[in-house]
Amino acid sequence: MIETINVARVLREALATPYRILVTRATGALVRDRIELKLTQSNCHAAVLDFREVDLLDLSCADEVVAKLLRSGQAKFVAIAGLHEDLREQVHEVLEPQRLAVTVVHDDGAPELLGSVSEDARLAFMELRDAGCTCAELARRLAWPADRAASALATLESLRLARHDDHGFTLIPFA
Amino acid sequence: MSRIVDIPAQFDDRGFEQFVAGIGAWPPEERLFFDGRGVQWSTPYSLVGLLTAGQSIREDKGEKPLLAIPTNDDVRSYWSRMRFFEHAADLFELHGKLPRPHRGARHSDTLLEITPVRASEDVHDVVGGIQEGAQRILTGELGLEAKATMGFAMALSESCQNIVEHAGTGGWVAVQTYHYRRRLGRRVAVIAVSDAGVGFRRSLEATQAKRFGDRWRDGTALEAALVQGVSRFRDPGRGQGFAGIKRYLQRWHGKISVRSGTARLAIVPSWDDDVPLVENLCFFPGSQLQVTIPSQDTAAE
Repeated sequence: MIETINVARVLREALATPYRILVTRATGALVRDRIELKLTQSNCHAAVLDFREVDLLDLSCADEVVAKLLRSGQAKFVAIAGLHEDLREQVHEVLEPQRLAVTVVHDDGAPELLGSVSEDARLAFMELRDAGCTCAELARRLAWPADRAASALATLESLRLARHDDHGFTLIPFA
Repeated sequence: MSRIVDIPAQFDDRGFEQFVAGIGAWPPEERLFFDGRGVQWSTPYSLVGLLTAGQSIREDKGEKPLLAIPTNDDVRSYWSRMRFFEHAADLFELHGKLPRPHRGARHSDTLLEITPVRASEDVHDVVGGIQEGAQRILTGELGLEAKATMGFAMALSESCQNIVEHAGTGGWVAVQTYHYRRRLGRRVAVIAVSDAGVGFRRSLEATQAKRFGDRWRDGTALEAALVQGVSRFRDPGRGQGFAGIKRYLQRWHGKISVRSGTARLAIVPSWDDDVPLVENLCFFPGSQLQVTIPSQDTAAE
């Protein structure tokens, strides 16, 4: 099950403020605590953080809300939606130096990577976007040696950007 | 008996250094009389710095300093509309003809009057309150692209958070645009932040002093924070605030200058002739930060 969380609404619940802005570490920690509580209560394995109604995000708050949530593992899988271009830049800037990445879900449902991953992992992500596959299939599609394909897929799995079962690897179906 | 400390006629960041040198050893042993009667020009940076002097003396349990306010009507009026006197009344014994408190609408060049910052909620109000005005001024007056507003708000937020996170006491912030005749001859938007806290060296000492050994002083502490992105917290997401501000300033050809203790470090753009690092300044408590964004016709030159 996937829980979609309206981040601006969480902010309103956490803080009596007329502004739809996510700034300061303290605010970010407050919002993350509430998000984690929601995830615990709903027992969901995947969460989509919807930033659609957020006007402003600073780096400290982006670190508290997004990076720390990714690191905490409170939700097994996390994606972001409704990011306008400026917010997207802030999220990228906090994830990149920490070698973290997150799936961004666009309104048309198409997933995209944001943050820091190797070029191979990025290419593997794009292949998985088209269709799930095994290591061998990915190696064949990209004309890579098997160990290169395995390493790229393992990276995506370790960053919780993909999962695998008996049939192979797939992206997380957030949309 | 009090000792007179002149406030220079040109009370900008350079004038502020003359003012600090006039104070001498810190905390001052005698009662001080800040003489501002001859001030002809002042900036948000110097005003928040002056309040910090008063705040720090109060926090050190020193005798309330006297402050002779400017005689120049324009300067006095400017100090009033920046709400300097509202805050100064608690920190100084004011002498001179006080203008009537400014009750009208915010002046068009003022994005944020001098505002105290003590807690995270204050930063929220400061950043939320300037959004609309920032858009108007940055795009309308300074010729920046619309997306520059977001970065400006981010820079303001991260600058103010240094007070909340590191100072251990309160501080002040002001945001304004003005015509910067002295070094630029163009309009600039300026964020000025000052606190009376522990300063960068003491804030970082526990985690960084050992690494620097004998070289550990105010200047190296500023370098560690501003250039290397070091934080006193070991959390991997820390230390990104200054990095974000620097990226923003690089994009818009802006300048940041941070003074703490006896040193001042600046990231200097091509339009300015400032020195990147100045050490062995006279001590001043806490830290003082100034972010300057020039109008974009300047940057292109």
